[in-house]
Amino acid sequence: MAYTCPYVPAEWIAAHGLRPRRLIPLPVEGALTIPRIEGLCPYARAFVNDVAAREDVDGIVVTTMCDQMRRVFDLLVRRVDRPAFLLNVPSTWQTVAAQRLYLEELKRLGRFLVRLGGREPDQQDLVRVMLSQARGDGVPGTPYTCDASVGWVLNPRVKGTLMREPRGLRTHPTCLTHHHSAGVPLALVGGPLMQRDRVLFDIVAECGGQIVLDATETGQRGMCGPFDRRRLAEDPLMELAQAYFRIPDASRRPNSELYQWLKDQLTRSGARGVLFHHYVWCDKWHAESSRLKEWANLPVLRLDSEGQGEADGVRIRNRVRAFLETFV
Amino acid sequence: MSEAPRQITLQEWDDRYERLRARGIPQPVYGGPLGRHVEDGDTRLLKLRFDNSPAALRLWNFLLTEEDRLQAARDAGKKLVGTMKDLGTVPVMAYSLDNLVAFYPDGAWWIPCVMEVNSGLLQIADSLGIDESFCPVRAMLGAFVTGAHFPIPDLLTCSVGATCDDFSAIAQRLNGLGHPILWWEIPHRRSPEEDEEAVQLPGGFSAPRGQVEFVESELERVRIALQDLAGQALDEEALARGIAQANRVRRLLAQLRDVVFTATPCPMPALEMLIAEMLAIHFCSDQEETIVVLQELLDEVKLRVAAGRGYSSAQAARVFWVNPVADLQVMNLLEDCGGRICGTEYLFAHALDPIPLNVPPMEALAQMALADPMVGSAIDRAARIVAEMRRFGAEAVIVSRIPGASHCALEGEIISEIVREECGLPVLEIEVPPLTDAVQPTLRTRLEALVETVVNRRSR
Repeated sequence: MAYTCPYVPAEWIAAHGLRPRRLIPLPVEGALTIPRIEGLCPYARAFVNDVAAREDVDGIVVTTMCDQMRRVFDLLVRRVDRPAFLLNVPSTWQTVAAQRLYLEELKRLGRFLVRLGGREPDQQDLVRVMLSQARGDGVPGTPYTCDASVGWVLNPRVKGTLMREPRGLRTHPTCLTHHHSAGVPLALVGGPLMQRDRVLFDIVAECGGQIVLDATETGQRGMCGPFDRRRLAEDPLMELAQAYFRIPDASRRPNSELYQWLKDQLTRSGARGVLFHHYVWCDKWHAESSRLKEWANLPVLRLDSEGQGEADGVRIRNRVRAFLETFV
Repeated sequence: MSEAPRQITLQEWDDRYERLRARGIPQPVYGGPLGRHVEDGDTRLLKLRFDNSPAALRLWNFLLTEEDRLQAARDAGKKLVGTMKDLGTVPVMAYSLDNLVAFYPDGAWWIPCVMEVNSGLLQIADSLGIDESFCPVRAMLGAFVTGAHFPIPDLLTCSVGATCDDFSAIAQRLNGLGHPILWWEIPHRRSPEEDEEAVQLPGGFSAPRGQVEFVESELERVRIALQDLAGQALDEEALARGIAQANRVRRLLAQLRDVVFTATPCPMPALEMLIAEMLAIHFCSDQEETIVVLQELLDEVKLRVAAGRGYSSAQAARVFWVNPVADLQVMNLLEDCGGRICGTEYLFAHALDPIPLNVPPMEALAQMALADPMVGSAIDRAARIVAEMRRFGAEAVIVSRIPGASHCALEGEIISEIVREECGLPVLEIEVPPLTDAVQPTLRTRLEALVETVVNRRSR
């Protein structure tokens, strides 16, 4: 089961006996499912083109977290011969009704997974998967595990389960921990990063910096917090839903929790500056750029990207270098 | 009906206004020559052509005096409710209480057009990080900052969830600037699954009972906030009265659309019809007057149809228009190119459907909110467009993209595919910025090509 949104709990898919695979898209060669570029978020476009081109995917889960992904689902349904599911993730989060809606959506996802050949999970299946994650065995299909001392880190025991290993995580595993090396400590904040855009980590290192907080959707920010073992034992699906529903994001309304999370993490990480990354046409992150600058008591550099990888690289490298020079 | 229908300039209208006044034709309190609005900065009016009926004059004056009406309501002690990203639900609730006036801050998206980008609103949005990659509705942000285009409302509501990202992001920016917002969730409408009870929604879509109940619970939060603001109970009886009034507006609009879209020659130009349809979603801050304005328009078109008078020849290409235009002048342009409007889907088709009366009021409103074409898939929306095209005998479709709008990146492609599959009719996708002057030659060429294609197909 391929997905990319952090609000899709990998444990829930795994508990159905299916393999969750979080797709961090790469460019596709040949005929494209969505050739259009104008006005379309590069990440959403890359996801659909990538997932449509893959033959090792039996089903696709998309969420309503952003309008562009909600709408590419329409094209997936029409143009891709693979079962697809649209998970309704509420934007609001402060009401019980919104939380209940998310829980009901997870149950509906479960019925979809069963129709695809998954097994009906009993409580113990889910508890087992969630405990396995909590023990550090990791969640199948994701490269992450939760370390009690430093939070989320790359799981060295999980191999070959991510559709494509994020380059930044492979080459800069310390970005999720606090084992700083030399270099100006920076936080990277924004939406998801495509694989080739994780070259940002290399660029920052080459320019004399170091990412000490990856607060992107494909980084530390896009992971749910640790499970409460008591609640997990009582009602594992509820605990799963609550943990995932608390993931902070720019798309939540209001998105005050994102700023609360950033406040804590920026302090903890010791970051001296913020790189704010967003793709063009990603309105929800783009709109946060100025607000973040007003809010953060740190220098902020906005990096907008068309998702063209190397084509963006030179411009971004120059901007990052100039930004880092101001810290001397 | 006094004169043959004719599109006239602003100057011609002002001359005509004097003649009407001299003849003693009564004007509403907000009446007057249209030219006075140019002095307020609405310079785009100088480049538009207007229908020459007194009914159209009333329509335009009603539209262009909304700010005065809102200020007068506040001065009279009424409370103002800004209903953002809400195409026709919360205003129905607000107008059920006699001391609330609802308006649509998103309507500021036309200010850059009407004031020809001289208002400074887009520059303010730019300065707040909301640049031209966003939909022109970003002008709303500037309007809140300056307070010059509408009074700051006493309560702001905003629907989120299955809405466009631009608006959600802009509203969040507004919230970050210190404007409290009551967010209410509208989930993506989906088809009921096998084990779910289905509810037939106004307009023909269906949704699971659970989704209707969820939206009802969200609207319940809004209801409580409106009650608190008004200091009055918004009970079932009051809501039923409000729904009945809203349905009066909808019935009038339905009749107006039916008459105008099916008659030959066309009895009312596309531009006035666009403005008339817009009244359905927020009543231009006066529900009673909306009914009067629409009734006058309907009476006028009925007289014209009976007399066989109107615009365009029988040869005019019958065009179905999808999405509202950021530049009003484009509606004139279509007619210049030999087209006429036969059906529209300006993003709020659900606000034209009668609100159900056979269920409790709050459920009826929840059903209506879920019937919003933008809340569901583009495939659903295309199905409704196809049905309406057939009903009105459209020969082509124009999908008018709104620059920067998140839904416009892909929906045109899907709608075009489905229209071609189902009807085999030509589809043209265009993008309309707030001012089209610079791209008008290109737009004109494309519209003319579409009209020519339609005419050629007839002879095949």
